[in-house]
Amino acid sequence: MSAVISHPLSVLPVPASRATQEPAWVRWLLISIALGWLGLFLFIPLAAIFTEALRKGLEVYWASLVDPDALSAIKLTLIATVIAVPANLVFGIAAAWAIAKFEFRGKQLLLTLIDLPFAVSPVIAGLIYVLLFGAQGWFGEWLQAHDVKIIFAVPGIVLATIFVTFPFVARELIPLMQAQGTEEEEAAVTMGASGWQTLWRVTLPNVKWGLLYGVILCNARAMGEFGAVSVVSGHIRGMTNTLPLHVEILYNEYNFAAAFAAASLLAGLALVTLALKSAVEWKTGAELRARNEETSNEH
Amino acid sequence: MSIEVRNINKRFGNFTALNNISLDLPSGELTALLGPSGCGKTTLLRIIAGLEQPDGGNVLFHGKDATGSHVRERKVGFVFQHYALFRHMTVFENVAFGLRVRPRQERPSEAEIRRKVHELLELVQLDWIADRYPAQLSGGQRQRIALARALAVEPQVLLLDEPFGALDAKVRKDLRRWLRRLHDELHITSVFVTHDQEEALEVADRVVVLNKGGIEQVGTPDEVYDQPATPFVYQFLGNVNLFHSRVHDGFAKIGELEVAVDGHEDTQNAAALAYVRPHDIEIHRTPENGSTFAATVVHIHAIGPIVRLELARADATEYVEAELTRERFRELALKEGEEIFVKPRSLRVFIDPNPAVA
Repeated sequence: MSAVISHPLSVLPVPASRATQEPAWVRWLLISIALGWLGLFLFIPLAAIFTEALRKGLEVYWASLVDPDALSAIKLTLIATVIAVPANLVFGIAAAWAIAKFEFRGKQLLLTLIDLPFAVSPVIAGLIYVLLFGAQGWFGEWLQAHDVKIIFAVPGIVLATIFVTFPFVARELIPLMQAQGTEEEEAAVTMGASGWQTLWRVTLPNVKWGLLYGVILCNARAMGEFGAVSVVSGHIRGMTNTLPLHVEILYNEYNFAAAFAAASLLAGLALVTLALKSAVEWKTGAELRARNEETSNEH
Repeated sequence: MSIEVRNINKRFGNFTALNNISLDLPSGELTALLGPSGCGKTTLLRIIAGLEQPDGGNVLFHGKDATGSHVRERKVGFVFQHYALFRHMTVFENVAFGLRVRPRQERPSEAEIRRKVHELLELVQLDWIADRYPAQLSGGQRQRIALARALAVEPQVLLLDEPFGALDAKVRKDLRRWLRRLHDELHITSVFVTHDQEEALEVADRVVVLNKGGIEQVGTPDEVYDQPATPFVYQFLGNVNLFHSRVHDGFAKIGELEVAVDGHEDTQNAAALAYVRPHDIEIHRTPENGSTFAATVVHIHAIGPIVRLELARADATEYVEAELTRERFRELALKEGEEIFVKPRSLRVFIDPNPAVA
């Protein structure tokens, strides 16, 4: 029956319904405004970064990247990221698993706490750590007595980065896991699977694209974080400078070519992140469509 | 393996899902837990499986208390209403899952797993589908795969939660006959939950009728249909006519009709509810003293093998539904608007526990 109906539709091209379309000039106006806005605030600055970075030639560009201070900043940024992203990956999975699959008291409070780093200004986040671990802070004396340096040192930068990037993975997974419900996990358990087996074989494969998406966003933020890190870092060149802080210092010293060269690295990272993010979105979209088809097939 | 349920209680907040339920499920039988939504049937099934903990009471498997044991240790096969197939695994891997997650020393070899899975897929007649993903299957196929997957762990008990609830009517009928045949082949103690009385009566050896967290009646399909223990069971299983009547000295009075009622010889003038199935109603052209009441034919639905009549009682504002065979209908040559006489063949009377104030 449906084949009989759909056949003529696929043969005759259906003209787009004019009744539901705006006149041409309205459409063109809206598209131009959108593109103009994007160009002004995104494309031009992005192009500016690369032209400024290369203004004095490739040699200067390269030299400013292999400068020891720049290399040290890159290294520190990578260290902070390599620690913060896996830490928040583990935490995010644990939190999402707990919130989506179990009922417990204080669930709403935990959800609110996970969102806290989004709500709090990064500068405040940095200040919290200074208040806790700084020389005049709560644990300052004890730390000094035991010769542990957190503030104005690498551990502080890592802590601040973890704090700021804390919600990304959890926030991405929670709605996904909640939508998937607990039936597949229950099925796995009735068949004798242990908690670990259920997590590895059922839960994680079902959320793998969402997880990757969360990790990409978390990674981008970890590398680009400025405010919180700036407060705890102390800006010691070659020691506690991350890439974003390095850009600021160079710029303040009117060393524009070097500043923009370092900035171009961050911009390049942002572009790579965007490309990855779109790829993952495309993939999850395909999966979502498949799932929708699955539910519509059920009847 | 037999299952015993002893004094199970379960509350969700202020809602009592199960109120002191006790039930024996003999080994090898196919039992239906039947009731309207919210009656606690799925909760009871999940408590038997161990997916839900009761607030009080015990579940015994083969005489041994299993209340405290984990789902993993209970060896139950559970089939979910929405199948709960692992969507990222092929049909083959879905069925193999229960074998692959066994501890290393108990785990069968790859060849053994292969053999077992194909044997199960043959059992559910879907061997040709092993490499597909759940999203590529129809609802009926998914449900059969879910069943094969549950059977892979060689469960002692098979529990099915509304197994045909999400399927369309035609597939549903095929699949429930198929389930019955499968059960006759395997003889594994099985319990399934349903809100569809037809399904319960057709498939099950025994039917447990539940209502508001309590058991109304337990019996064979014949018993619960022909001798309902309570007004609820009467109304829930099939169409029924309800008459408000009065019972006095062992007789129930409905209009001019008087019927002897067993067990109510000493009852004095009590309000009662009388139930008659539409197919237990005879239609006559002439009155019989004391055993008929007058009615008018309001509507005739003469589609299919059975003719349905809607009748309006002459002496009250109640409507009566009757079912006649085509031959009887032709014999009577009934027309809408005609006056006829109604004679209930079998009538069941319950004293009204909360009569309307007259």
